[in-house]
Amino acid sequence: MSSPAGPLAGYRVVEIAEGVAGPYTAMSLGDAGADVIKIEPPGGDRSRGWAPALSDDSAAWRVLNRSKRGVVLDFADPADLDIARRLLRQADVAVVDKVGLPPELAWGALDADQLVYCALSGWGPRGPWADREASELAAQLAGETVLSLGRPGDPPVRLGVDVGSMYAANYAIQGICAALYARDVAGRGGQRLEVSLFGSLLAMRSTLWVALSKHDEWWGFTLDSYLKPPDYGYQCADLPIYFSLGRMGDDDVERLIDDLQMGWVREDPQFELLLRDGAGGAGRYAHQLKHLWERGFAGWSAEQAIEKVERHGGWAFPMHDYERLAADPQVAAVGAIVDVDGVQQVAPPWDFEATPAGIRCAAPKLGEHTAEVLSELS
Amino acid sequence: MAAGPLDGVRVFDMTLWLVGPWASMQLGALGADVIHIEQPGFDPSALGGGAPPTLDGTSVGYITWNMNKRGLFLDLKSDADRETAYRLLETCDVLLVNMRYGAAERLGMGYEQVRAANPRVVYTTITGWGEHGPMRDKPGADIQHQYFTGFWSTNGARGGRPEVYRHFTQMDATTGNVAAQAVLMGLLARHRTGEGQRIHVSMLRAAMALQSLRIGEHLASGELHQPLGSAGFAAAPDQAFRCGDGRWLGVSATSEEEWRRLAAALADSEASGLPPLASDARFARNVDRVRHRDGLAALLQDAFAQFPRDYWMLRLDAARVPCGFPLTWDVLRDHAQALENGYIHEVQTSGWGRVQTGGPPWALERTPARWFGTSLPGEQTGEILDELALRAAAAPAAAD
Repeated sequence: MSSPAGPLAGYRVVEIAEGVAGPYTAMSLGDAGADVIKIEPPGGDRSRGWAPALSDDSAAWRVLNRSKRGVVLDFADPADLDIARRLLRQADVAVVDKVGLPPELAWGALDADQLVYCALSGWGPRGPWADREASELAAQLAGETVLSLGRPGDPPVRLGVDVGSMYAANYAIQGICAALYARDVAGRGGQRLEVSLFGSLLAMRSTLWVALSKHDEWWGFTLDSYLKPPDYGYQCADLPIYFSLGRMGDDDVERLIDDLQMGWVREDPQFELLLRDGAGGAGRYAHQLKHLWERGFAGWSAEQAIEKVERHGGWAFPMHDYERLAADPQVAAVGAIVDVDGVQQVAPPWDFEATPAGIRCAAPKLGEHTAEVLSELS
Repeated sequence: MAAGPLDGVRVFDMTLWLVGPWASMQLGALGADVIHIEQPGFDPSALGGGAPPTLDGTSVGYITWNMNKRGLFLDLKSDADRETAYRLLETCDVLLVNMRYGAAERLGMGYEQVRAANPRVVYTTITGWGEHGPMRDKPGADIQHQYFTGFWSTNGARGGRPEVYRHFTQMDATTGNVAAQAVLMGLLARHRTGEGQRIHVSMLRAAMALQSLRIGEHLASGELHQPLGSAGFAAAPDQAFRCGDGRWLGVSATSEEEWRRLAAALADSEASGLPPLASDARFARNVDRVRHRDGLAALLQDAFAQFPRDYWMLRLDAARVPCGFPLTWDVLRDHAQALENGYIHEVQTSGWGRVQTGGPPWALERTPARWFGTSLPGEQTGEILDELALRAAAAPAAAD
């Protein structure tokens, strides 16, 4: 379970970060072959205490900290602080966030000109909020994420996936690799780079910013989310599905209507609209027409409904929860879920034919590699 | 201005629609010379699949996802243009393609074909569902992956049904970002080994990797997430509260230290009726607070309801407790935090005037990223072909 030949083999990464964004960033570099050393305070990364708990730690800890070696250092102890400083100065990459990072380990204090020093923050390096604390929730609220969920006036609804942290991690991985390229190929030295949750969330909604800054007509491929009600998919007899008419012509839709035995819809005043509106995410009036389609789907299982829609040229897909996702044959066929020392988790997402990525080891116990890593220090 | 980190890297960009263009746009922002190949004789209303909303008749998807590139017309089905493509490819470091499985091969642009001409090319292909399995040949689009991978299944009002995130493109953009990572890693591997390679990324696995934590929680516990409104699954308290002026404030204590700070800030406040939280055994550790999240939320809601949002923000900021409140586009587009970091800025496009957009999300101190507006399809065809001709003319001399 090691990848000595991964694309980042030979690079040394030191992580001083907690939670999701920093740990996922460093873990990805480890999956890609780098030697990652995670420094934790004596009390451990906060995610060790998150729910759901496992025997010694948590699911979060296990799936965000594989492919790393774990070291415990107490920055209140000058000797430990000096060890951290030496580890950082000997590394190619530092991944840090603001939690518990003493000023002695800031970029300016390290005097490490060849280091790629990646800081993850809530709000970015400049501006009035640069020094404010942040969280996934605070970033999602400020980044407008919550406006695409729930109903105006109701309590805000967050996106269940920690997208602010994960988007930032995805950008941080890019920034780190690009900075390594500038250092190693172009000889331009190390540098500090910063990626924030807020900035990453805004970047990921760029399509909406362009649409809002100038547009012909305000509606779109479910970019008009401010105005639409919550979308639960199309409920069939057993499970919900997603479906869209795709490139179906009127004749195809008529045949689908017959196949679903929903001829009654031809008497509905909205029938002409139903024939032409794309349904699903592509339909401008999909939310107004949904009850008609759902009445048609009610007599069929999700599997039957999908088969019928596809038979007539439309697009239909199951709406999986995580249990159905994990059981889907496609997921198994592409190896998307792997077992790491008894804990099932999502595999790294890249396939490198010549330098395969892979999981180096399970997440470390608290301080598991302290002695080993210290013995390697020159 | 200093050059970006990928200055000198050239990308042969055969991408279509959204996923691939997002990947190459990131590489362009990081300084690579991205040459976006398109079929000659374009129809502006068909760009980006024509998906609304549109701007001057063109899908905003196309305009947004094709910044930071130059445009080149090549008809890869014509022998003459394919020959030009191969001359260009000899100067490229990266090829990006997101056609359906097997389509690039049929155009003469498969990996083995390209490698024979330039073995250093980092050849990256993006598919919807992967290169194996029963769904391999199905088309892949953002919404399908959002539904299929369960991205919808953890969102929703407390006690309500799970609901879809009504802003599509997130799975597309995430896959594009993962593909850009793969390209960058491939370039670093090439620096070590001297050789290019074929790399593959699928939307399915990228969308699942984005959900590593939530999927991992399910696989470890067997539990399915039930929507919690604004509350987080892993820690408590971590949710929005309605303050005395009716406005919402998101408050997060996802570590024991942050919980101690929050409990102290509440105890120091002028709110009345709040029992001592720090010493309450129900709230001792995070797993206890998660177990008793409803009781804890009710106590905190009572306190927050007594004063306006700004009262609490000032107190929580001073106590270093993470908090935040909802912003909307009409505020964000002028917000100092977004503008001073360049997270929202205005660019000049070639065919669609000035627009505001996001990015670049990296603050790189020595090799800054850049962001420039969308070219028309094929806009730089003459300039790029001239460069190639100059290079061909110079080649014999260089060989001496």
